Amino acid sequence: MKVMATPRSVDLSITGHCNLRCRYCSHFSSPSDVGENLPTEAWLKLFEELNACAVMNVTLSGGEPFCREDLKDLIEGIVRNRMRYNILSNGTLITDRMAEFIAFTGRCDGVQVSIDGPIPEIHDSFRGEGNFRKAIAGIRFLQKHNVNVDVRVTIHRKNVYNLEKIARLLLEDLGLSGFSTNSASYMGRCRHNSEQIQLTVKERSFAMEALLKLNKKYNGRIFASAGPLAECESWFEMEQACRGKGESISGGGYLTGCGGPMSSMAVRADGVMIPCAQLSHLDLGRINTDKLKAVWQNHPTLKRLRERCRISLSAFDFCKGCDYVNFCTGNCPALAYNILGDENHPSPDACLRRFLKKGGIKARGGR
Amino acid sequence: MQDHNKPAANPLIVLREEFEDSAILYNPDSGSTFALNSLGVFIWKRLDGLHSEEDILIELQDHCKNIPEAADAHLKGFIRSLLIKGLAEYRT
Repeated sequence: MKVMATPRSVDLSITGHCNLRCRYCSHFSSPSDVGENLPTEAWLKLFEELNACAVMNVTLSGGEPFCREDLKDLIEGIVRNRMRYNILSNGTLITDRMAEFIAFTGRCDGVQVSIDGPIPEIHDSFRGEGNFRKAIAGIRFLQKHNVNVDVRVTIHRKNVYNLEKIARLLLEDLGLSGFSTNSASYMGRCRHNSEQIQLTVKERSFAMEALLKLNKKYNGRIFASAGPLAECESWFEMEQACRGKGESISGGGYLTGCGGPMSSMAVRADGVMIPCAQLSHLDLGRINTDKLKAVWQNHPTLKRLRERCRISLSAFDFCKGCDYVNFCTGNCPALAYNILGDENHPSPDACLRRFLKKGGIKARGGR
Repeated sequence: MQDHNKPAANPLIVLREEFEDSAILYNPDSGSTFALNSLGVFIWKRLDGLHSEEDILIELQDHCKNIPEAADAHLKGFIRSLLIKGLAEYRT
């Protein structure tokens, strides 16, 4: 198996702190919730190592990255070390001056801001009062300075029937070029509030149909790598392949659903290297103590995750007798871990057979 | 004074030797990439403002077997393309 000499990108949880406590946050109540923040110098030292490893891009997340008072120093360190960056944020702490600074660096690929509703009542229902207006203000500051804004809509039970209004807000009123969607997953705090938050099969089916329709209306300006819209596409392809109509599914029949460990890794707020922000229990070593390149190339856990693609789905009782077994890729290992305690298992949440058995609609194409 | 025979890599550009036989040059200001094969990497590593194009060609001939006659022209063309893309420069 050919593995890159170093990761192309690294996700950095630069803080464990956040000003919000969103009810489906994947950070809090997960192993990444370490309550520790590394000093500026520790991150700057890591950036030098990332430069030496020719890492191209870092994603700053948290917690809430804008909680860090030294964020400008960190960004300057990233720029100095020849990298580009993204920021994942709730948007509420973004000021005019900070947006201006980000624009000035010329290295920001985008700031992802979460917007979950067309009106404060819906957005704030799970994110806390007053945060819709603050997040919108943050977006407007970014737009004012021509910083690329990636809005992420997390679909849940309280906003699923408002997708049309959300699209109108983002694409027409705010004039964004596009936005992305996912759905609240069984991770972090969502695990404790799952019944109130996670979509039922009926709601998921509705979201799939609604997003397809909206995407037609808005010429494909809605994106997804997870959640109902992504499932629409992947399940439709599986249906087609299963009937011998579409193209074969690359990696079908094996646990190939995640390519993350082939090109990226992550660091927790306490400096522990991990394969991915959602697999934060897998301790690979500590930054500035263990060499990132050696960890990337040799750590047995990463090797095991990369070898995952050799595990046949037909080996699982869960997949026995499934018509889709040769066309499925098992989806997200982190979700499988959170649901079953085992990342080397297909994610039950992404199982098409199970979805259909529970009354879910057959996916249509047309994304 | 510019030395027009001794090109140097733009220090901003990142050489990412991703696999044994392939690499990319990455410009973090633009986000653009430029693919290199192992020969390209060999040349890139000698763009230090100290090696002339002739020096590099001699090293190339020492290092590799079956260098074609047109290697000189290919080398110059390759360096020219790096200069045009801003990946290399003549230092003043």
